[in-house]
Amino acid sequence: MIDTPHSPVLCEIVGHAQCTPDKIALVDGTQRVSYARLVSMIGATAVYLQSLGLSAGDRILLTAEKEVEFVYLYFAAHVLGIVNVVVDAASPQERLDYIAGIVKPRVSFGSRQVDGGCRAIRFEEMALGDTDVPAAVNRSLAATDVADVMFTTGTTGAPKGVCLSHANIAGSAANTNGFIGTCSDDVEALALPLSHSFGLGRLRCVLTAGGTLVLVGNFANLKSFFSVLESERVTGFGMVPAVWQYIKRLSGRRIAKFADQLHYIEMGSAALPVEDKQLLMELFPTTRLCMHYGLTEASRALFTEFHSAAAVLQSVGRPSSGLVEACVMDEQGHPLAPGIDGEICVRGNMVCRSYFLPQDNVDAFHGDWFRTGDWGHRDEDGNYYLTGRKKELINVGGEKVAPQTIEDAILALGIADCACVAVADPQGVLGEVPKAYLVRGKSALEIADIKSRLAGMLPPHEIPVLWEWVDEIPRTASGKVQRLKLKS
Amino acid sequence: MMESRVKEIIARVLNVPLDVITDELSSGDIPEWDSVGNLAIISTLEEELQVEFPLEDLFDLTSVESIVAEVNKLTPSND
Repeated sequence: MIDTPHSPVLCEIVGHAQCTPDKIALVDGTQRVSYARLVSMIGATAVYLQSLGLSAGDRILLTAEKEVEFVYLYFAAHVLGIVNVVVDAASPQERLDYIAGIVKPRVSFGSRQVDGGCRAIRFEEMALGDTDVPAAVNRSLAATDVADVMFTTGTTGAPKGVCLSHANIAGSAANTNGFIGTCSDDVEALALPLSHSFGLGRLRCVLTAGGTLVLVGNFANLKSFFSVLESERVTGFGMVPAVWQYIKRLSGRRIAKFADQLHYIEMGSAALPVEDKQLLMELFPTTRLCMHYGLTEASRALFTEFHSAAAVLQSVGRPSSGLVEACVMDEQGHPLAPGIDGEICVRGNMVCRSYFLPQDNVDAFHGDWFRTGDWGHRDEDGNYYLTGRKKELINVGGEKVAPQTIEDAILALGIADCACVAVADPQGVLGEVPKAYLVRGKSALEIADIKSRLAGMLPPHEIPVLWEWVDEIPRTASGKVQRLKLKS
Repeated sequence: MMESRVKEIIARVLNVPLDVITDELSSGDIPEWDSVGNLAIISTLEEELQVEFPLEDLFDLTSVESIVAEVNKLTPSND
């Protein structure tokens, strides 16, 4: 069996393969993969990666597709100390090429190809042999080594690579399982994307707990999601608030029929209105309704459980475990007293050590405290509250969008000037959506023309929902857009 | 034809070629048809075709075929 002392997550999975080899780890359509089979396939995939000449410290680009091959590759890379750069299969090509240009992957795996001539291998092209124990790695690997680089949306629109160590991802899984209570009896339906910290985190949580993970495409077809809940006797799942709005809109209270079988629902990535928290408590009186606050850089930093925090439903929670600390700080990094707004900073076992590019680390930390860019305060009891965001990102149903990305696309159409801000989704589903303010200049384009042209340039969630022509965009003396003035 | 209009709208909303929108295609079958895409399809159809899907029917609108049938049901005079 594979030996991976540097990866606490893999140690747990290998432990389950030894103790409960026949237990089902993964369900993908009609495929059912036991823990013994999972570890064997991870080993065989590691042997295959070695046959490609890959070794510790190399980077691979891994398209997040919800297939068992993704899981094998993801963990096989960890076995060898190869760094996974996990990307969304639906990413615009420009973003993928940008990421590849920075991380210089040796191979890209999955459905997407990138510039730069690195070898591209589709999952179905992988030629796995019979051997499932890789040759010894010739470097001593450590838990502090980088395991994954996850790209998030930077404030300027350029993606930022977050370097997560083996210890970070194990720490986050342990904190999360400890809070939620996920255990080996649980069966979880994973409909979240694996390219995001939330979904990939759920994969690690369930497999380290020794539970069963059922891979589901997405939430779009609720009828089929509900039938999976029923047929697989699912006991838990994760969702973003936009999905909850979607479930409510399309299925009303139908989901409540699963209340008795659901041990937990994890939520996160965006705010959920208090009325929805109350509705969930009513529909799921005995389910642990856990909501995290976190970022890719500091996954699941805080947690709250609605039933046990019924008196403070506005709060985003408290540190997720005894190994995590939070602190509200001023600009200089001095702690602030309860009730006073400042920047929420966190430190602990799950916090990334750095970004991939040195320039992204400037002002990212106060010592070992990671600066979240979110503003808020804590109360006397240690509950944290968000009151605003320092960064200007627009949170569209959990997808973070940099206003500049949209503005650049609009300006490329010949519009004289524009600025985009976050506004509440008029349909009440996505939380925030982009609104564009436009200065016409000499352009003859109407809003409908702009929208249809943007459709080919931006992913659907980045296209503004609201539009307004204005005479000018308010700017500072240095030319920076004053977005707060537009929002007020 | 209402059917071709519905398919054209779905293709446009999801930003995929029209020939992808077959009768059998269901929500979740292609990455573009996720929950956000599904809501966009519903609201665009309601807006452009001047129909209102009854809440109790939304849960069952899971394929192109079922959406076309529902629109036909709501706009009998146009078909």
